[in-house]
Amino acid sequence: MNIYTARIILLVFTFLFAGSGFAIAAGSPPQRIVSLAPVITEMLYSLGLGDQVVGVTSACDRPAEAARKTRIGSMPNPSLEAVLALKPDIVVMSREGNPKKAAERLQALGKKIYVFQPADLAGLPAAIREMGQALGAASKADEMAREMENAMQEAVSAASANQSAARKTLFIIWPKPLIVAGSGTIIDQAMELNGMSNMAAKAKGSYPRYSAETIIRQQPELIIIGAAHDEAMGRQVQSLLQQLKMLEAVKKGQVCYLGDGLYRPGARVVEGLKELKKCGETY
Amino acid sequence: MNAKKQHTALRAGLLVFGSSLIILLCLISGQQLLNPFTLDQETLNTLLALRLPRVIVAFLMGGALGASGAVLQGIFRSPLADPYILGISSGAALLVASGLLFGINLFSLTIPALSFAGAVATGGLVVLLGRGWHGLQPERLLLAGIGVGFFLSATLMLLMTIASNDGLKQAFLWMSGDLSMVDFGAVPFGLFFILIGLALAFYHHKGLNALTLGDEVAYSLGFNPVSERLWLFMAASLMTAAAVSMGGVVGFIGLVVPHIVRRHIGSDAKTVLPLSVVSGGTLLCLADTLGRTVAAPLELPSGVVAAFIGAPYFIFLLQRKQNR
Repeated sequence: MNIYTARIILLVFTFLFAGSGFAIAAGSPPQRIVSLAPVITEMLYSLGLGDQVVGVTSACDRPAEAARKTRIGSMPNPSLEAVLALKPDIVVMSREGNPKKAAERLQALGKKIYVFQPADLAGLPAAIREMGQALGAASKADEMAREMENAMQEAVSAASANQSAARKTLFIIWPKPLIVAGSGTIIDQAMELNGMSNMAAKAKGSYPRYSAETIIRQQPELIIIGAAHDEAMGRQVQSLLQQLKMLEAVKKGQVCYLGDGLYRPGARVVEGLKELKKCGETY
Repeated sequence: MNAKKQHTALRAGLLVFGSSLIILLCLISGQQLLNPFTLDQETLNTLLALRLPRVIVAFLMGGALGASGAVLQGIFRSPLADPYILGISSGAALLVASGLLFGINLFSLTIPALSFAGAVATGGLVVLLGRGWHGLQPERLLLAGIGVGFFLSATLMLLMTIASNDGLKQAFLWMSGDLSMVDFGAVPFGLFFILIGLALAFYHHKGLNALTLGDEVAYSLGFNPVSERLWLFMAASLMTAAAVSMGGVVGFIGLVVPHIVRRHIGSDAKTVLPLSVVSGGTLLCLADTLGRTVAAPLELPSGVVAAFIGAPYFIFLLQRKQNR
């Protein structure tokens, strides 16, 4: 078969499958969902759609049940063949982390896709509601969004009740190599809500590389360390704090340990917001 | 003489037959082994829309790199010349990435044209740096290529780090020759460039044979070494540019393939060129198939698999050269 015959057959099939995709869109909620990102997988389970999930990425570790689903490859490079083989009604992906090309190819193959794309922390509740509607879980999504809005509101009112100036804060994502949360991230926006001034906001990039020297020069008043439940990371954090021991913040123990709730823009952001608020109040 | 010709033809026929079998096998194997005799629509869809473009692009890319390697090894009289080692592929990739970053738009010609310009510019620079007192020196050329190649890939890395563009973030996969997302979109221009390059190389195949024997011999046989080398270099650049524009940077195919062909079938450019296309294409198809099969559903970039096959061969060649 030459290329041209193949292309014609391909074209015919594309239309055929595109047609069936639209038919599903108009009808009942999807029964077979493939998730292309950990945040999506978590969100699908929180929306009560866990049973409908048929495929996840190799990085989808939460909740534990998700790890038993069929793997379709990695987030930056999902295997299109593996996705197709699962015959999904809809493929849910994230704008951050999934290649645009994957969305284009899946659409060309006639698969229905949904792209979760919260603009920022403030836009997250709306994005969750929209996704809930698209997947037939509107009421659950609304509940989740409202909980998130409440958590944000609480943070704002607590911060405005506090009269003192915004504290210079640094959010450490990973100690070695030293990566901190920069501007434009959900973490940065959550810090702002809590009346903290992110020292790394002026650095270039969302997750800038930092050096111990820069931290010492900038003199943060509060240091927050994320994903502190990780054991290997705990040891590296101790050695970093040893390097930073001349800092007032370290001497006074103004170091707060957080979970990884703010790392994925999904359901557990509520948890992360609450922990961050507590950090601000305790230290 | 006639018997020798027949012998060559027989071997070439065997190679083509074996390659066709391997390509068919590549088409049906992957994450799932597809049975072509019990086709349902979903299987056919996977076969035609996902596997077929991958196999075709891999074959064209590998073929272009193989032929381009055969040409470069001939005109530089170095068994270690290859578009990847001489930095030509990196140059093509860098110019494409910069073009995308600065929003250069030549419509559907953007990627192939930038790729060609990058290949020619890098090749020219490497040749300039590789010139010693007595014309081109293979060792110097190789070192110049490695140096320039490193510099260009570092620049590409830098571009990728500072750019926030989604397309450029994908450049990493592109740099390692990832074919998991290819479709037929890049095929027409790629094919066009490859055909021109191949035709050019074929037209000058006698010159290529003569250059292999040395500039003086070529001159006494009635060829102008300078112009022959220039034309053939253009042909190699066109083919490399086409390969890069279709699927990114893949190394070592252009190095390994011409050696295999010369060793087992014959060293006349008229045979080496087409058979390098066939075996280069087959080798990259095989590398891509292995990449999507061994760690399924994770996709290993075909460039990485090709390097696993090619790098040991490169070391073997170096070793053999030393022992001589």
